[in-house]
Amino acid sequence: MNGLETTRRLPRAILWGVLVAVLVLYGFPFLYLALTSFKTPSDAIAVPPTVLPKVWTLDNYVTALAKDGVVPALVNSVVTAVLSTVFSLVLAVPAAYAITRYRTPSGRVFVMAALVTRMVPTIAVGAPLVETMRTLHINDTSFALAIAHTTISLPLSIWLLASFFEAVPEELEEAAKVDGASRLVALRLVVLPVVSGGLAVTAIFAFLASWNEFLFSLLLTSVRAQTTPIVIANFQTQFGLDWGAMTALAAIYSVPVILLTLVLQRHIVAGLTLGAVKG
Amino acid sequence: MRVNDRRFAALMMAPAAAFLLAFVAWPLVRFVTNGFYDISPVAGGPREFVGLDNFAAAFSSDAFQGASWRTALYTLVVVALEFTIGLGVALLFSALGSRSTVFRTLFMYPLMIAPVVAGLLWRFLLIDNFGIVNELLGIDVSWLSDPDIALFSVALPDVWLTTSFITLVLFAGLQNVPGDVLEAARLDGAGFWTMLLRIIVPLLRPVIAVALIVRGIDAARAFDIILIQTNGGPQESTTTLSLLVYRTMTRYGDIGLASAMGTIYLLAMLAVASVAIFAIWRPGADA
Repeated sequence: MNGLETTRRLPRAILWGVLVAVLVLYGFPFLYLALTSFKTPSDAIAVPPTVLPKVWTLDNYVTALAKDGVVPALVNSVVTAVLSTVFSLVLAVPAAYAITRYRTPSGRVFVMAALVTRMVPTIAVGAPLVETMRTLHINDTSFALAIAHTTISLPLSIWLLASFFEAVPEELEEAAKVDGASRLVALRLVVLPVVSGGLAVTAIFAFLASWNEFLFSLLLTSVRAQTTPIVIANFQTQFGLDWGAMTALAAIYSVPVILLTLVLQRHIVAGLTLGAVKG
Repeated sequence: MRVNDRRFAALMMAPAAAFLLAFVAWPLVRFVTNGFYDISPVAGGPREFVGLDNFAAAFSSDAFQGASWRTALYTLVVVALEFTIGLGVALLFSALGSRSTVFRTLFMYPLMIAPVVAGLLWRFLLIDNFGIVNELLGIDVSWLSDPDIALFSVALPDVWLTTSFITLVLFAGLQNVPGDVLEAARLDGAGFWTMLLRIIVPLLRPVIAVALIVRGIDAARAFDIILIQTNGGPQESTTTLSLLVYRTMTRYGDIGLASAMGTIYLLAMLAVASVAIFAIWRPGADA
């Protein structure tokens, strides 16, 4: 592999032991959340607490899903995330392509803008956006929230896609253009199929950014468009001490994400480290 | 480059540029402008220009000074812990080679989970009376209800959630450390710590810089992960700037003051990040 075998003097077994210990520590919180969601409500807050459920039950899931507003919030989360992913890709693909292929000075401004956007506290954009959405008569809609979420995922998408486009040899397009294809046709028929993996990674990141986002959702929705993270935060007041149902809802919200990660793990690692590391 | 290529490129970038101008730059301009006005919390209410009054009020308020220190401390705790654990785990993965792939995937999972879920989960783990952490460790620490340690406690889920990012980035960087350099150092009798501090860390510097800057910015903006654990309490001990700005705006309805606080916060972040980018990263030096 690489030359980091400085540890050869240490027995491998010790290293594996340390690694497993670290991962157990890392995995435990989530395992405990899952286990608690199958406990009875009184067991969930029993003193002293137990790791395993005394009785396994699905009651918490039934309770959580039956709560007013929980199912609509899950639907809103999906709708908002899908819309935001579409907005991000539609805007980012042409921009990222132009940045990598034509290297205009404005392209560099874009990359800087993407960096600066990341540093802006959400509230500084979110608070004025509430006014904007009200003016446009789209406040408290998934559409408006998706626009807000796109402010986060668009710079990220441009950044990611630009590095995927970098990897496409220009000769491919040149050949298509010689055959009489226009630039847009060459992009659509030659370049995009080559970077389809990159498009998928970018779409996942845009989707997750929206799925997990909190403060924009808190500012821009009140009733109709409320997403699940807000419902989770309001649980306290609604559910009192029903930690069982709370852990169930948290588990429901995290499972799709975990499945998504499982299916596309290799691409995700590439996406996460891209841009940070060249090589 | 032909002119029509340039025009084509401009057209391709226009939609994204227009979007960012309309929904990021313009709101930001309005936010900063609001800092110079006294604004009625009623929608469409009166606005009165007050110059730098809000900024003066922000700087002299104890709440703002306290929140600034807490934000800096929180960011420092999160980034320091993450860097230490992240580098350690990345070195472990490297030493164990390709057989650690499965573990790398497992380690990545927290990154995908919503901060609000992570905050909720850790609140449940650390809560007084029935928290499992105290039970398993056989201790009785009031993690989230003791003002002296609450800021440290609320940082734990952030560390849990995002250390993997640093690990992944550093691991990718470690793959590019040339083996023969390390081999030569070992033949010269260099120990593990010498190699780490003299060879590995200097070689990884640009990668480390990216990881620290990205995580530092995000930690300084942390909001939901803290809100759900303590709502800024006990006794304001976990009220960081993002929580204070939010509360000043929504609970106290003082939009002008909140905007001034937010503007100072934004400028401070930009300043610190710029210094970090140019001092450690030196973009272009390694491209």
